[in-house]
Amino acid sequence: METVVRNYKAKDYKSEVKPIWCPGCGDYTVLNAVTRALAELALPPHEVAIVSGIGCSSRIPAYTNVYGFHGVHGRALPVATGLKLARPDLTVLVTGGDGDGFSIGGNHFMHACRRNVDLTYIVMDNQVYGMTKGQASPTTAPDWEGSKLTPQGTGINPFQPLVIGLASGANFIARVSSSDPVNMAQIIVQAVRHPGFSLVQVLSPCVTFRPEQSVWRDYVRTAEVDYTDDAARAARRLMTDDGFNVGKVLFKGSRAPYRPEFERSSGSIAELESRFML
Amino acid sequence: MKETQTDGIEVQTVPQLLAHALALETEASERYGELADQMEIHRKTAVAAIFRRLEVAEKQHLAGLAALCKDVELPHYAPWDFKWSSNEGPETIDIGRVSYQLSVREAVLLALEHERRATQFYVDVAAAAKAPDVIALARQFADEEREHSGWLQNCLAECGADDSKASEDPDPPLCQE
Amino acid sequence: MTTHSVSLVIAGSGGAGVVTAGSLLLNAAAKTGWYALMSRSSGPQIRGGEAATMLRFATKPILSHDDSFHLLMAIDWDNINRFSAEIPLTGNSLIVGDPAHGPCPAALLAAQPRQAALALTDIAEKIEGGRPNMVALGAIAAMIGLPPQAMQAVVEQYLRRKGQAAIDASMAAFHAGFAAAADLPAIPKLPAISSETTSRWSITGNEATGLGILRGGVRFVAAYPITPATEVLEWLAPSLAKVGGVLVQAEDELSSINQIIGASYGGVPAMTATSGPGLSLMVEALGLAVAAEVPVVVVDAMRVGPSTGIATKSEQSDLNIAVYGMHGDAPHIVVAANSVADCLFTSQWAVHLAEAMQAPAIVLTDQSMGQSRAILPRPAQFAFSGQRVTALAAAEGERYQRYAVNASGISPMAIPGTPGLAHTADGLEHNQFGIPSSQASDHQAQMDKRSRKLTQFNYGDHWADIVDTDAGPGDIALITWGSSTGPAREALQRFSAAGGKARLISVRLIAPVQPDRMAAALAGVTRALVIEQSHSGQFYRMLRAFYDLPPDTRSLHQAGPLAFGPGRILEQLTSWSV
Repeated sequence: METVVRNYKAKDYKSEVKPIWCPGCGDYTVLNAVTRALAELALPPHEVAIVSGIGCSSRIPAYTNVYGFHGVHGRALPVATGLKLARPDLTVLVTGGDGDGFSIGGNHFMHACRRNVDLTYIVMDNQVYGMTKGQASPTTAPDWEGSKLTPQGTGINPFQPLVIGLASGANFIARVSSSDPVNMAQIIVQAVRHPGFSLVQVLSPCVTFRPEQSVWRDYVRTAEVDYTDDAARAARRLMTDDGFNVGKVLFKGSRAPYRPEFERSSGSIAELESRFML
Repeated sequence: MKETQTDGIEVQTVPQLLAHALALETEASERYGELADQMEIHRKTAVAAIFRRLEVAEKQHLAGLAALCKDVELPHYAPWDFKWSSNEGPETIDIGRVSYQLSVREAVLLALEHERRATQFYVDVAAAAKAPDVIALARQFADEEREHSGWLQNCLAECGADDSKASEDPDPPLCQE
Repeated sequence: MTTHSVSLVIAGSGGAGVVTAGSLLLNAAAKTGWYALMSRSSGPQIRGGEAATMLRFATKPILSHDDSFHLLMAIDWDNINRFSAEIPLTGNSLIVGDPAHGPCPAALLAAQPRQAALALTDIAEKIEGGRPNMVALGAIAAMIGLPPQAMQAVVEQYLRRKGQAAIDASMAAFHAGFAAAADLPAIPKLPAISSETTSRWSITGNEATGLGILRGGVRFVAAYPITPATEVLEWLAPSLAKVGGVLVQAEDELSSINQIIGASYGGVPAMTATSGPGLSLMVEALGLAVAAEVPVVVVDAMRVGPSTGIATKSEQSDLNIAVYGMHGDAPHIVVAANSVADCLFTSQWAVHLAEAMQAPAIVLTDQSMGQSRAILPRPAQFAFSGQRVTALAAAEGERYQRYAVNASGISPMAIPGTPGLAHTADGLEHNQFGIPSSQASDHQAQMDKRSRKLTQFNYGDHWADIVDTDAGPGDIALITWGSSTGPAREALQRFSAAGGKARLISVRLIAPVQPDRMAAALAGVTRALVIEQSHSGQFYRMLRAFYDLPPDTRSLHQAGPLAFGPGRILEQLTSWSV
């Protein structure tokens, strides 16, 4: 028998600002999944914050009724880190794209996984920089010739963000597809509930600059095995998967989340000053 | 995504049916509204009008449903606890199925497909239910869904064949940030 | 050298313990009731390199290092040439060296100072556990009038853990040196203070900065180490914990500045400290703080630039980036501390300003203030009433306007966790609701708001320190900022003692500019000297751009790391007086 008081429905978490994403964009499903997840978690909107960087997917905060912070390119994770450390009472989500998160934000991504503050990071990975009209990103295949900046393809192997996240210490790793928003909502609920840094990669096609990604809905398949808590096993699985096994948690670690101990005023400023006195 | 038809087998009581119907219709009306918003923002007024009309129809349906649910204690289902055969509710158009180039005709066909799925869901519930009141209610809901399909069939007939040209846009995409 | 003070340098290398000697001497001077200023210089090695400790002692509060040193005590001569430009000597100066290390290098003899020998190594060897640096301290103590019992107390505390034998050995060496000084030529002596009239502190500029930050109310700090700012953060780490705050080490400056923006958005006053290269990295995020109207404080302990520059030396050349560094028109607050003590006041004030105006405030200090230790009068307490204006509840039926356009330009800020006031803070230009907008009217309105909130704020008298000679201001002014203030103040004091008339204006509020107040301060002034430690004269250019200056305004500027001596400034004042 349910004992949770559910005061909010999914639509209560949406603002009246209409998204300007292209019709068919995977980001719509993420917005839906996030709001559904928040409703299931029964979190009051004013106790939730979404932090984002720059890019199409980073526009999410304005489309919600929770507290939002739309920062600069690649720096969402540090803003979210500072916010959560200063306000551990808030539930803090971070949203962004593959360029924002893994290119300019790559260093912060590694250290956020390593630091393991209790955050949930949802990366909408469409293997392109959509907002700036279609350049290759760190997850783009080396032979994609659709960008004017790299017309012969980048020639550089893409990142495997989940592997890097695992190696850097992320405490929860999952991959979902924007073609299944209900499953996505379920995974997001688990990600938020799991303490520490939770990483959710969303395969989220860009309908305008990567229309060929429409086949992803056919490529994706439900992951065959449940999550492991063994990092080495997870590493082997992640290094050998083709990037389309979705719908399940891949790794759940047991690191304690980073939360510096606030010694509730064990001293005072006067006491600190006394050390300077002669 | 599920391969086998498991719809309806779990729905055996009126509260369960009402909970499913409420979720199904709420999600459908919200989705039609979302799609209408998207099309309006992108100035596809004719397509937006189709979705907006469907949103209104669903909301009316919801109002009637809400009246039925008054004073009934409904079981809570997490979104993933519903045994739909699709990822979201049967009447909910997957956002990935639309695009900027969507024509009126395609929009109508898409809606029709989903109205028929909704109808089928209630038919399946009626077929698998044991209690007479559940069966009756499920059949009633199925009939209501068929009404929507009727309207959409008319729309289809009115759609011109040259509708597909209207969905072209010579301007290239722009960057905004 | 007319003030009653004595200046000396201790130099040596490779385990000579110069830095330790300087600290012991400073602490002993503190017990004697003197005021002091101690700075250090060293080679690039992490250990064992050449080092020099510069000390000035006086019976009154000290404003700056003197023009030259009375005494150079060289424990050895290893690479002491490195410091020759930083140890100005005159014909009256005395160089004391250990004959065991050979003759004094020619580079130090240009002014033909007096020289004397003291066999530090020899004397130390005759004492079990004795070290040359303690022998040197003994000689110095005798020469400057430091009572031995002051050093006794200091050494007991310093060597407490090593046991009585170590204490006895050190003091034996000290006393041997004390006795040996009888054969050395004289240098000025200071009288011991019999009773304490003012309570005094021993503090560095970096510590004072940290304390000011805490007094101002900061409780979240993100830290990335960089010379010479690291000590601010290292002082804050345990201190914050004591008052219920948190310090987190970041992976780089891009992270630290964004973390403090996040924490501040969450309602906790936040800061970080860095130097020039770090500030360069932070500039984009500072613009974000301007646009999203989030208060943060960034301390820039300036070092010699550009680029990696000279990390361990001081310069006043980050004025430009502090004031002009952000792209777009991004009005914000820049304040500058002008002494070790002022690091405390100015940092505290910066927190108050940032929080009151919901904007970033950059605090300019520098290596010379930050890493110098001063014995100074106990700083006053300052109570600032300004606090962040927060929105507490949603108005009935109204939608919350985070960026409401009002008369003051300061719109109440909703803290996350407050029901009904959720909004998105944004670096994108926005309307009063915070919704992104590309409309010209919204941009204009928000630009006006963000500018107005700073220009209409009442900064009070703290915008500058204004000091006049005893005979009144006259028609001459010294205009300066930061650490150039110290020598300018001392020059003014000497000028005053000689009956001269002049006014000193040390600007603390660098931005936003205060043309009306400056005009009032310069009333009747026809000649002005602008003093700063920058190769291109950044401050002079800024004054020219924003202020009306007297007809005969000159710029006295030079690159770091050498500071101005008071005498050089006095020369200009004097030449104008004839």
